[in-house]
Amino acid sequence: MHKIFRFMMLSVMLAALMLGVFVSAAQEERVLVIGHAESTDSYDPARGFTQTTGFVNRVTYQTLVTFPDENASEILPLLATSWEVSDDDLSYTFTLDPNARFASGNPVTAADVVFSINRLKNVKGNPSFLADVIESVVANDDGTVTFKLTRINPAFLNLLCNYAFSITEAAVVIANGGTDAEDAATTDAAGAWLDTNSAGSGPYILESWEPTVSTVLVRNPNYWRDREVYFDRVIVVNIPTPASQKAALEAGDIDLALDLTADQIAELEGNPNVAIARFPANIVHFLLMNQDPEIGGIVSDPRVQKAIRLALDYDGFKELWGGVQPAANLAFGLLGALGEEDALDRDLDAARALLAEAGYPDGFEITLSYPDFSFQGVNMNINAQKIQSDLAEVGIRVTLNTQQLQIGLAEYRAGQQGFAYWFWGPDILDASDFFAFLPGGKVASERTNWNEGPAEIMELIAAAKVETDPEARVEMFAQLQRFNQESGPYAPFIQPAIQTAFRANLQGYIWHPQWLLDVSLLSRSE
Amino acid sequence: MTKFILRRLLLAIPTLLGVSFLVFASIRLVPGGPAVALAGELATPQMIEQLNRELGLDQPLLIQYVNYLGRMLRFDLGRSIRSGLPVVEEIQTRLPRTLLLAVVSLAVSSVLGITIGVTAATRPNSLFDGGSMIFALLGVSMPIFWSGLMLMIFFAVLLPQWLTSIGFPTGPILPPTGSGTWQHLVMPVTALAANSMAIQARMTRATMLEVLRQDYIRTARAKGQKERIVIYVHALRNAMLPIVTIIGLQFGTLLGGAVLTETVFSWPGIGRLLVDTISFRDYPVIQGTVLTISIGFVLTNLAVDVLYAYLDPRIKYS
Repeated sequence: MHKIFRFMMLSVMLAALMLGVFVSAAQEERVLVIGHAESTDSYDPARGFTQTTGFVNRVTYQTLVTFPDENASEILPLLATSWEVSDDDLSYTFTLDPNARFASGNPVTAADVVFSINRLKNVKGNPSFLADVIESVVANDDGTVTFKLTRINPAFLNLLCNYAFSITEAAVVIANGGTDAEDAATTDAAGAWLDTNSAGSGPYILESWEPTVSTVLVRNPNYWRDREVYFDRVIVVNIPTPASQKAALEAGDIDLALDLTADQIAELEGNPNVAIARFPANIVHFLLMNQDPEIGGIVSDPRVQKAIRLALDYDGFKELWGGVQPAANLAFGLLGALGEEDALDRDLDAARALLAEAGYPDGFEITLSYPDFSFQGVNMNINAQKIQSDLAEVGIRVTLNTQQLQIGLAEYRAGQQGFAYWFWGPDILDASDFFAFLPGGKVASERTNWNEGPAEIMELIAAAKVETDPEARVEMFAQLQRFNQESGPYAPFIQPAIQTAFRANLQGYIWHPQWLLDVSLLSRSE
Repeated sequence: MTKFILRRLLLAIPTLLGVSFLVFASIRLVPGGPAVALAGELATPQMIEQLNRELGLDQPLLIQYVNYLGRMLRFDLGRSIRSGLPVVEEIQTRLPRTLLLAVVSLAVSSVLGITIGVTAATRPNSLFDGGSMIFALLGVSMPIFWSGLMLMIFFAVLLPQWLTSIGFPTGPILPPTGSGTWQHLVMPVTALAANSMAIQARMTRATMLEVLRQDYIRTARAKGQKERIVIYVHALRNAMLPIVTIIGLQFGTLLGGAVLTETVFSWPGIGRLLVDTISFRDYPVIQGTVLTISIGFVLTNLAVDVLYAYLDPRIKYS
């Protein structure tokens, strides 16, 4: 029998030796390793529409215009050096930078822009809806391109900063099965190739993607912009468990952990090897109250809705997560968003009075549905428990209904939830994102059955959709936010700070509301 | 023996068919489908309907299942809804990593578990016996996700910190996540093997105690056989039948346990693939992965039966 033991021991030693062969040899390269709970299903700019796609495509592709590195406060040139808007605000003509080059070394032309935009529209992928406002896009010559819009869209340039509008090299995409034809939804076959390769002009090239394992980017040797890029290789490792991400960061196995929870960040305070950055994020957490009495029941009553808004302990949520208290569902930081000074204060007496007026002086029982989920470090379970305890103070006895994310999402999107807790991040970094929460908007109509508001409000919404003067827009959106604060079926309660931890020698980390992170800005102190 | 193996393989077919039907039906009972996950936040009911049509999910369940079986007979498990890659290709990439983890864990746990069990049985009620059984109880009781994180924190964070504080600056002793080097294997294997080793140690001890009380062992000793020969040749070989059964079962458990271990240590194997795709409702990958794990179970059981005949020549299969 000792032969069996010897054999077993030998097997173990042999397995260990074989594994040793794979020891990494890439020590000389400057490698950045990011730990991240991968969310992407595609790196094809016309199909991917997730956070992971956002920060990867941010450095593998480029858009015509962009935001500053730090925020979304203005529009800056990128592939386009300048642009002109027609008098009727329906045509935008862009002049391309003649120096712009794809990673292949070929120039970026107007034909590439036309191909990329038409492909985005026609592939009908997740982000294609963003291009609905574009009626046509035409190349005037090699260096200029004109977009014609279906209607005035004051946020059009902001929209073009979204990575969905990345410009791809048409010849490369076509060679790999791509098409921008009207039937691209069924005939385009470049998706699989673009998932593991890139055809852009950014500072990095997508080298590989093994879904749910890792994404590898390498420096673009033909990068055309005069901007230093420090890391030769960027590896985004999928570490879905935040606790594992934290251990990997502390061990120095990864340089940056993107998905740590707030309590994990707190545990890292004081660790000399780890630095923590905090930025005001743009995700608004809110309660949703269905306007349809058959679905919403008691909470479809506007008086009850306002009572709930007045009963929440906003300061408590800020203590938990940092960040700001939003005045409405328009994220603080976007043009036209009301500040904290305009937000509601907690007033339990007023809340009780409103409940009594609505016929519930002793409160009532209700079920709150929400997903068992953490996003950007904010644990929704903790918030739900706090909502339960806050509302108990005015007699509202909440039963928590925790749901698996996909199950909850299906109910939420179908407008079947009466009283629910969700969060929202803007698709477009512009005040127009708020239309979703106004009567007839996406969230309002589909998820709360709020289709009609007072006539003057509906008129104001229609006017705000086509207003291009920034000052007038600010005033209009202020009125609309106040209207929702008074009469809307929502209770926005926290816009948490985003907290990120990274190795102390990593420099240049900036959280961005559009693309989350620009890895080309990062470097390591030697 | 060949006939026996062939018959067992044929009997495996209805088992696997049953498994395929159960998985097929149960994942479709869970609300929310791949179309909902694919279509994203702004999906309209029309978009979801169209996606369901494109994915063939609008057809009656029975037709979907028959189509699935038809493809399966051609070794075509379909394409991943999420990545678009053939499921067979995804499994081919991931399975060797899980097998590596499971095989090394099984080897480590068997060598240590049997050695500890035999040693404890030959020294009943000694300090070693008591200590090793407490150790085994801990091994059985610790959930993998907890012991995995504890190992990670100890080897990757606390130990390097402690060594640095006493003047031996060092990086992480072992990498806490990922795969690719033998160092990456150490912690997941330890976490995975601990439970299996404990069960084998307890089983070996109990069986050996039973066998060591048999008359033929007394006879062997009376004949003047060396104690080593008595234990390892006369006793252990006869105690091996239940131990081999446990090892066979453990291999299946290790494949299942890999789901947790791979998640905690970000080990890119078939277990992680299963977890990632369940939340995305990627039906073809879930079906393919569970079927692969089931085939692993069936083949392991068969291997155990064949081993029986080798270990105990009295057992004959016809």
